Amino acid sequence: MTALDPERKRALFEATALPVTTALYNTALRLTGASADASDLVQETFLRAYRTFENFSLGTNCKAWLLTILYSVHINQRKRAQHAAISLPPEALEALPDEDLAGGDERLPELDERWGPEVDRALRELAEPLRAAILLVDIEQLPYEEAALALGWPVGTLRSRLFRARKRLFATLEGYARTIGYLRKPGRPE
Amino acid sequence: MTAHHPLGEEIQDFADGRLTPARREDLEAHLATCPQRGRALEKLRWVKEGTARLPMHEPPPDLPARVAQALDSEDRRGSHARPLRRYLLPAAGVLAAAAAVVILVSRAPRDLPSAVGRDFAAYGRAALSLDTASGDGPALERYFARRGLAFPTRVFDLKMMGYGLVGARVHQLDGRPSALFAYRGVDERTLMCQMFEGSLDELPQGAEAREHNGIEFRIFNEHGLTLVFWMEGSVVCVLVSDVPGEDVVQLAYAKAVRV
Repeated sequence: MTALDPERKRALFEATALPVTTALYNTALRLTGASADASDLVQETFLRAYRTFENFSLGTNCKAWLLTILYSVHINQRKRAQHAAISLPPEALEALPDEDLAGGDERLPELDERWGPEVDRALRELAEPLRAAILLVDIEQLPYEEAALALGWPVGTLRSRLFRARKRLFATLEGYARTIGYLRKPGRPE
Repeated sequence: MTAHHPLGEEIQDFADGRLTPARREDLEAHLATCPQRGRALEKLRWVKEGTARLPMHEPPPDLPARVAQALDSEDRRGSHARPLRRYLLPAAGVLAAAAAVVILVSRAPRDLPSAVGRDFAAYGRAALSLDTASGDGPALERYFARRGLAFPTRVFDLKMMGYGLVGARVHQLDGRPSALFAYRGVDERTLMCQMFEGSLDELPQGAEAREHNGIEFRIFNEHGLTLVFWMEGSVVCVLVSDVPGEDVVQLAYAKAVRV
């Protein structure tokens, strides 16, 4: 985008970027786990985006662009806060137990809105890179390529982490389903 | 048919629609005879559905005002020539309305047909982008619901009429939430639909009024565009395009339902 008149830049930014506020806030909330932190993250994201709005190509995916900034700000904030555990090294991710998706023959219960809190809880239990993959691909519905760009990973890494994330989510939700009796417990006759 | 068990990630590629048609066909044949991998696919889809249905949380009411203030500070930092904007910030007690005020400031009042026409033109010159690209109508309806639109949406399937769905965005049509979705015709012409809560009574005079199957339609022709409005319950639907006007009317006739 060429340099804009300041008034036009502001109007264009408000029309293009601000409608994404809810999506940004929800992603921020699920990354940080706290409403106040999520609000701070969204505000900082918009500010950074506004400063570099000339770099955004109108007509391309504004949400993907904003999520790229949001994730970058989030990672930098966490690094500054020296929360070293937020980003597991790749070898640690690969060492996570690998759930098997192939077994079982029971009918899976419908994941209706009553499951929302459990799905959110299962998401929170994921290592952050795995959670981020789910947030961008399954919740924000970004294509792999745009999600990988936003997260700063190769597409192959995104694909692999997304798969691991979904398997772990399945294991957690399946465990919950057995606990509350939606699925029978192992070893128990039908 | 594939001779080996496909890897889990390949099943995921299948579930996410990322395989080539040939590979997809190959895998479909394998899945038809392999309960293990069929089960893996079922579980992946189950998890995807669960996350896709997660409710969206409303941002705190003061967030729009905080963002507006941050942008104002940035504007002042960049230029001291525009002191007026600070006075446009609402008082602390009306923070929730701040975003709408800021968005609407400096825009001339306009009527709904003009606003819809401007959105169509903005999309045509790539000044208005879609939030999500998808040709799946029900998925877009779920998308609108998850984005917090508080009214039902119907994303029309117009394939039989030569229009493929391109994608959608949650839009602000003159300050009110709108479900916006776009189609591309076989001749590369664009058709756009918006749905929002309102009433035909809000439309200005000068429309051609028609009735079809018990549904009232208001038709505007402005600047080479045809806009066809009708109501479905409390939701106003409008189709707009620069294709021949009667084509837009017939598409609306075909898809409108009485609620």
